[in-house]
Amino acid sequence: MSGRELSGPGMSARTMRLTRTILIGVGVLGLVLGAVVLVSKQDLPAILRVAAWMLGAIILHDAILSPIVFLIGVVARHAGRRVSKVVLMIIQGGIVTGCLLMLLVVPEIYAKTLPIANDTVLPFDYAARLGFMWLGLAVLTAGVCVVYLRVAGRRNVVR
Amino acid sequence: MRRLLLTLQHAVAAPTRNPRLAVVIGRLLGLAFLVCFGTGLYSHFLQEPLPWMHFPTFPGNLYQFTQGIHITAGIACFPLILAKLYTVFPNLFETPPITGIGSLLARASIAVFVGASLVEITIGLLNTYQFYPWPFGFREVHFALSFVIIGSLAIHIGVKLPIIAKYWRKRDGYGPALAFDDEERAEINAPLVDVLPAPLQKVPGARQVSGLTGRLFRWIDAAPAEQPGTATSTSRRGFLVTVGVGVAAVVVLTAGQSFALLRPFNLFAPRVKGIGPQAVPVNRTAVAAQVTETAMAPDWALTLGNGSRTLSFSRAELLAMPQTTVDLPIACVEGWSQMATWTGVRLNELVRRVDAGQGAALRITSLEKEGGYRVTQMGSEYVGDDNTLVALTLNGETLDIDHGYPARMIAPGRPGVLQTKWLSKLEVLS
Repeated sequence: MSGRELSGPGMSARTMRLTRTILIGVGVLGLVLGAVVLVSKQDLPAILRVAAWMLGAIILHDAILSPIVFLIGVVARHAGRRVSKVVLMIIQGGIVTGCLLMLLVVPEIYAKTLPIANDTVLPFDYAARLGFMWLGLAVLTAGVCVVYLRVAGRRNVVR
Repeated sequence: MRRLLLTLQHAVAAPTRNPRLAVVIGRLLGLAFLVCFGTGLYSHFLQEPLPWMHFPTFPGNLYQFTQGIHITAGIACFPLILAKLYTVFPNLFETPPITGIGSLLARASIAVFVGASLVEITIGLLNTYQFYPWPFGFREVHFALSFVIIGSLAIHIGVKLPIIAKYWRKRDGYGPALAFDDEERAEINAPLVDVLPAPLQKVPGARQVSGLTGRLFRWIDAAPAEQPGTATSTSRRGFLVTVGVGVAAVVVLTAGQSFALLRPFNLFAPRVKGIGPQAVPVNRTAVAAQVTETAMAPDWALTLGNGSRTLSFSRAELLAMPQTTVDLPIACVEGWSQMATWTGVRLNELVRRVDAGQGAALRITSLEKEGGYRVTQMGSEYVGDDNTLVALTLNGETLDIDHGYPARMIAPGRPGVLQTKWLSKLEVLS
């Protein structure tokens, strides 16, 4: 990569090099500090278990979640030939939002089945709320789709 | 392998997977991580201060704010990191995967960043409802990984800085679509299984599509490959709106445990304001702390010592002293908080009775049988503050035993775990 390519708008090649060096230096220091803290506060088996969790998280994302998202995307691309692209995106947005909330709430539902510290921890019926959330999200998504189609239809008529 | 990687890269390419969107989402994610890091360090040092450290006691709800932000920003990291990983997913199949030491280190730092970040936000979230399914210490690992994340993030930004600088502003475009040279395109388009009969191989465009993989990729390729400019623009906008809605949803529907303004929208947080004994949530109960007998003992007395000078006060004696009322929150490290009205004896007036000078710090001991916070220390800035009380009543009623009866500490800007309940002994530190 040439110096010109390295520099972005408003940043000289020298500033870019210096900034990158500082960032990478700070980063290495951070990693070393993190490793020192970890080694000083946890024994080797615990550190290996942390590493296993990190590896597991990467595998969970790269080998399970991402392929699922990819397959949903493929299905959506095909559906996109028959359904309005914007409607498809609104539906996708609704599903993604629901899945994000589910990601946060499902562990709560499970944790609530275990002995909890006291009644003020996890006080809600999270499973029921999750169900109502999906229902509300479905209604909201459908409503947004209807509004969009009406507005788009009116625009087409005007044209 | 090369063909597989190229095919996968080609298959996962999308208008929303471009450098500009990676920069846009990356900026937000970087900011969220920095906020978490800063507020996390503040919380850490409040609990384990270095000898020279002094902390602000005003405003009294400072820790309520910083820790609420810490947890809320951590929750916002879930949609942001998933969106960021989505925008750069084709990079996973880069070929050749490694081009030298530099690229090896760059990829390794990304792997460390992704792994550490996902573990950090996950254990942080589960800690908010005291769910610990992992086989290592939460506080220690959460603290250590914060440095790992910031370190690997700095390296990642350093490595990608030219791209970040180039696509920092929208006017510089969204970055090139995923491009393949002729040789790579030939590899992608090569027959998936080389069993096409020889005569058919001569037919222009003939491709083997038998087998599940072949059929799948033919089906994928049948989707519109090229999208007009307006369609890709709609995709990008749709993606950003989805990320925005996702972040707003997870924040608005949970942050009510930390911020009173959002309390009506609290649908999914593990804590709720205004519940529990005397309308204040509890973290550790009297039963869990094994103080149900000692706290209710009729001969309970608070011992206050300064060197050889020692005084002790029964609850009745404490109640007979001048009483002060303050509004201060219980703000937990787990992010929830609750404003409450406390009445009791000013700590600085109490320690003057044992001739403690200005700048005295305290060692505080609870009746708790065990636990990391049974014995804690309080810096002089809190001891001397007029709003720090040995509290005897809560919201106008005698302290509930789960809130620290017969007496507890309440000080401005301190984490809930340091607002010691079931007081037993106060020792002035020289």
